[in-house]
Amino acid sequence: MRALRYAFDEAVVSLWRGRRAGILSTVTIAVALFVLGAFLIATSNLEQLGDEWGRSAEMSVYLADDASAEHRQAVEALLAPGPIVAGHQFVSKDEALQRFKATFADLAGAVDTVDGNPLPASYEVRLEAAPGAKDAIAELAAQLEHTPGVSDVRYDRQWLDRLLSAVTLVRRIGLLLGAFLTIAAALTVANVVRLALWARRDEIEIMHLVGAPQTFIRGPFVMEGVLQGGIGALLALAALALAFLAVRGRYLVPLAEALNLSGIRFLAPELCLLLVAGGTVVGCLGGLVAARTRA
Amino acid sequence: MIEAHHLSKLYSRGVYALRDLSLIIDKGEFLFLTGPSGAGKSTLLRLLLREELPSEGDLKVAGRNLKLLSPSQTQSYRRTVGFVFQDFRLIPRFTVFQNVAFVMKVLGVDVAVQQRKTFQALKWVGLQHRMNAYPEELSGGEQQRIAIARALVNEPQIVLADEPTGNLDPDLSLEIMNLFREINARGTTVVVATHDRDLIRRVGRRTLTLDQGRIVEVA
Repeated sequence: MRALRYAFDEAVVSLWRGRRAGILSTVTIAVALFVLGAFLIATSNLEQLGDEWGRSAEMSVYLADDASAEHRQAVEALLAPGPIVAGHQFVSKDEALQRFKATFADLAGAVDTVDGNPLPASYEVRLEAAPGAKDAIAELAAQLEHTPGVSDVRYDRQWLDRLLSAVTLVRRIGLLLGAFLTIAAALTVANVVRLALWARRDEIEIMHLVGAPQTFIRGPFVMEGVLQGGIGALLALAALALAFLAVRGRYLVPLAEALNLSGIRFLAPELCLLLVAGGTVVGCLGGLVAARTRA
Repeated sequence: MIEAHHLSKLYSRGVYALRDLSLIIDKGEFLFLTGPSGAGKSTLLRLLLREELPSEGDLKVAGRNLKLLSPSQTQSYRRTVGFVFQDFRLIPRFTVFQNVAFVMKVLGVDVAVQQRKTFQALKWVGLQHRMNAYPEELSGGEQQRIAIARALVNEPQIVLADEPTGNLDPDLSLEIMNLFREINARGTTVVVATHDRDLIRRVGRRTLTLDQGRIVEVA
């Protein structure tokens, strides 16, 4: 506890003394986490978009006129709610005809001239749009096509595939860029801490000679990194919140309406905490690397 | 207290700083190490501070073989040793009081104890009235007295001094030596490296003369 208090006090004094270099590394961390945070906001909202669109996404499974009750049972077993299927609804031939007449009133007379009901019974299937669901949906469609009693499966999945691919791509770009910037930030912290170590080399020499524990020698420098990382992360979070509020009313809300999205969300509280913890860990690692090599 | 057996220190360029040196320094003894530059005086002190390790032979202090100490044992060993250098090595950003208290602060000593012991040490070297001054405001003799106060504040068993009067005039040198004599009178083992033969003669204690890493005279 005494070592922690000593490390904190010394780190604050050292940060104040070397505030120019400290500001540089803190801002570097803030920029890295701002970029990472912005990508996280984008991907979490795209995921939400995919989720909401996915809920309205449908697959139509048309049944042959001679499909038996066993055939329907087999189809229904495949359409049981799970990770791919959100739910399904059976539309009988009669219901299909009624819908057609209601939707295309002008053509209603033409249908009456045909013998019997030409429209097939079907299942309207609502799909989940989880990332990685693309292959599973394709597999389900293939299974249904080969199920006896099924005459056709219609599923316009191109747009959903594109959305899911976009979410994956944006997330990968964000993680890659975030990782790159985070490494750069950690190196900046390490270099700034090295400057502090150089400035205090006389103290460190005396500390070694009097047998000071490593926690007292290295602690202040690790703490310096932790503080830079933590402050940088809080700055990034504040900048993200301000930027979000600034563009929300003007751009994001109209965009959400255009995309039929219920709302654009900021980072979830757990992601905010993760971002601050991440910044602190990055700073800590930078300080630790510098202290281990120089102190 | 201090035992060296066939102690050698070989540097990478093939030069022996110490060669086959054997000696015993008793507990509570005051010993001078002298000899020309490069004789090995400072190397022996660095080995005693465990800043370096012997290349050959053994060096034992209070029964502890310095070669075999782990990092944490080295830390606890160094807490029993005080050191004084020719260039004082005071921290310019710290006041006199902070310089002396720093040694205890980094060992996690209670603040009240730090303050009491620092004041006692400063009083002992006669500089309690300068405790708020910075090193640059002090004379060379005063700075060395502060360095001695810093070496003593933890009540070490051994005090090592490397040319402690090298930057001081003869009167101040004797004043500093008198402080070392007083430290020794309290039972602390004192080892002082100096090339000042006149000072050694005036203080009059056992003296080992080194030359090219070997003991050439014991007086």
